[in-house]
Amino acid sequence: MAKLKCAWFDFACCEGCQVELTNYGEPFVQLLEHLEPVEFREVMSEKTTGPIDVAFIEGSFTREADRRRLEEIRARAKVVVAYGSCATSGGINALKNHMDDYAGEVYGADKDRPHLNSAKALPVSAAIKVDYEVRGCPMDRDELLRIVQQVVHGTAKVYVPSYPVCVECKRRETVCRYDDGEYCLGPIARAGCGAPCPADGIPCEACRGLAEQPNQEAMVKVLVDNGKLPQQRAENLSRMFTANFRGDA
Amino acid sequence: MTQQFLRDDDLMPFVEGLMNRYPVIAPVAKRTRFVFEKLIAADDLRLDYDTTVLPPKKVFFPSRQDLIHFDQQGFSACIEPQAQVLMGVHPHDIKGIAMSDRFYSDRHFDNNYMAYRQVTYIIGSSVQQHYKYAFFGSINADKPLSGHDLFMTKIDGGYVIEVVSDKGAELLACGSFSEASPAQIAEAEAVNAAAMENCPQKLNGGSAEIREKVRAAYESPLWDEMSEDCFSCGSCNIVCPTCYCFDVQDEWNVDGASGCRFRLWDACLTSEFSEVTGPGGTENFRDKRAERYRHRYMRKAAYLNDQLGGPACTGCGRCSGACTADIANPVNVINKVLEQ
Repeated sequence: MAKLKCAWFDFACCEGCQVELTNYGEPFVQLLEHLEPVEFREVMSEKTTGPIDVAFIEGSFTREADRRRLEEIRARAKVVVAYGSCATSGGINALKNHMDDYAGEVYGADKDRPHLNSAKALPVSAAIKVDYEVRGCPMDRDELLRIVQQVVHGTAKVYVPSYPVCVECKRRETVCRYDDGEYCLGPIARAGCGAPCPADGIPCEACRGLAEQPNQEAMVKVLVDNGKLPQQRAENLSRMFTANFRGDA
Repeated sequence: MTQQFLRDDDLMPFVEGLMNRYPVIAPVAKRTRFVFEKLIAADDLRLDYDTTVLPPKKVFFPSRQDLIHFDQQGFSACIEPQAQVLMGVHPHDIKGIAMSDRFYSDRHFDNNYMAYRQVTYIIGSSVQQHYKYAFFGSINADKPLSGHDLFMTKIDGGYVIEVVSDKGAELLACGSFSEASPAQIAEAEAVNAAAMENCPQKLNGGSAEIREKVRAAYESPLWDEMSEDCFSCGSCNIVCPTCYCFDVQDEWNVDGASGCRFRLWDACLTSEFSEVTGPGGTENFRDKRAERYRHRYMRKAAYLNDQLGGPACTGCGRCSGACTADIANPVNVINKVLEQ
C-alpha cells in the first residue's frame, strides 16, 4: 500500500499541537510506516504545492487572508483533519471575540500596526469543510492516532464521547474538586481526554469545548454557590475555550 | 455458622495474614474521601470510613474492562481472575453486590463479571461512621444480607466476626480468634441495629408504596422542575452500586490488523446514551434532560423494584453527594413523590 502524503499547516496558534505530536515517540514512528510527511514546519523545511492525501490543520481562522489559504489547502487535500482547540473551536484566541479593543488591551501603543489586524477567531470549519476534528489543548494525540489509523485502513468510525468530563473523573475515582470547595468546569466540559487535569489538582477549563446539551445556567449557579467565584467571573469562566459555543457567542 | 472474636490488637496481624495470601482490596483514605483500593500496607485500612467514591462493584467490573484482544488469526479473552479479598464492605454495599450479581447472572450470565466475582472473598464490616447522605436504614432494610463470607462488627475491645460461609471459614486461618461470648454477640447486634436506626436521612415509604407512587408520577411536572439544574453529567450513575449499563467499543492498533474490544461504564443521564443511529439517521429517544432524569427514578424505584421486590437502591447516598447541582438525592425526590 502506497504511503499517504501528509502535510501539516498552522494558523493562529502556538504550534504546541505539532510539538505534542513530535513528542509522541513510538506510536508516531509506527505511523510513519503508513504516512509520508511532505510539509511539517516543526520537523522539516520542505514545502509542497501539489496534491496531498491528508492535511492536518492547526490554529484558528482569524483573518480574511486565512480563508484563501484554507480554501487552497482544501482544494488539494483529499481529507482535512482540524486538530487542537484553536482549529476546532477558535481556542484561546476567541477570548477576544467579545471585546471591542482587544488589540489595545494586549499591544498598547502598537495596536494599530497592520500585522495585528484580525477579526473574530473562529474554528477552521467556519471557512472550509473539515472531515475530522481532534479537540483539546493540546490535542489528544491518542485520538489523532486513532483517526489517522481509521483514514489509513478504512476501519470503523472512531468513537469520541460527547458527555461531560464528570463521567471520566468518576470512572477514575478522582475526588471531586467541589468536595473540597474548589471550582471546575467539568459538568459542562466535553470529555474524551480521560480527565487528567482534576486528577492532578487542576480545574477543568473545557479545552475540548462544551458537552452535548450543556447546562450553562446551572454551571454559573454552581460556580458561585459551590465554587465560591464572584458572579462575573463565573459567567465569563467558560469563555477561555468555548467562546464560540456559548449562548452569547 | 460460628461467631468469633478478634481483639483490636489482632486486627493488623489478621490483615497482614490475609495480605500474605491474597491481594486485599479495602477502604483507604484519598484526600477528603475514601476509596476501595489494594492495600499496600495493612495500616492503610480505614474501617472507620463513611463511604467510598465508587462502590465495590469496581472490583469485579472495573470502569474500563478489556474483553478480547483480536488479530488476523483470531481472538483471545483478557480476563485473568485470581483469588482476592474484598474487605470492609458495609451491609448496604453487600446488598448492592447481591443486586449486581443478579443483574449479571440472571438472564444473561456475564462471564467477565462473574469470573472475578466468584474468586473474591467478601468480608463485610459494620458502619462506624455515617456518610451524611446515607439512608440505608429506610430502604430494603428488611432484606437479609447474602453473598458475603465474613462479617465483622466493631464492638468494645475488638470485632465480632460472623462466619457466613465455608469460604469465610477458610480465612480464619490467617488470624487468631477466640469464640465470641453471648454478650459480645448481643453487643454486635445492637451496634448494627443502631447503625440502621441512626442514618442521617430517611425515606418516608416502604418498597411497595414507592413502586406504585413513582410509577403513577410518570406524567408529573415534578421531573421538569427537579431536573432544571441537571448537567446530564452521569455522576449519579457512575457512582451507583446498582447501575450496570456499559458501552462496548473496539480500539484498533496502528497496523490496522489487530486491536482490543473493551467496555466502559455507561450513564443513562448523558444525552448520548439514548442516541440511536439507523438507516434514517440519528435520533435520541430521551432527548430532554427531564426524561433522562425521570428514567433514573423509574428504573430504580419502579421497573427494577418489580424484579427485585424492592428498589434497586442501597441507600448509600453516593449519588446525592456526587451531584454538584444537588438535585439527585433520592430521599428528596422520592419523599416529594410520596407526598403527591
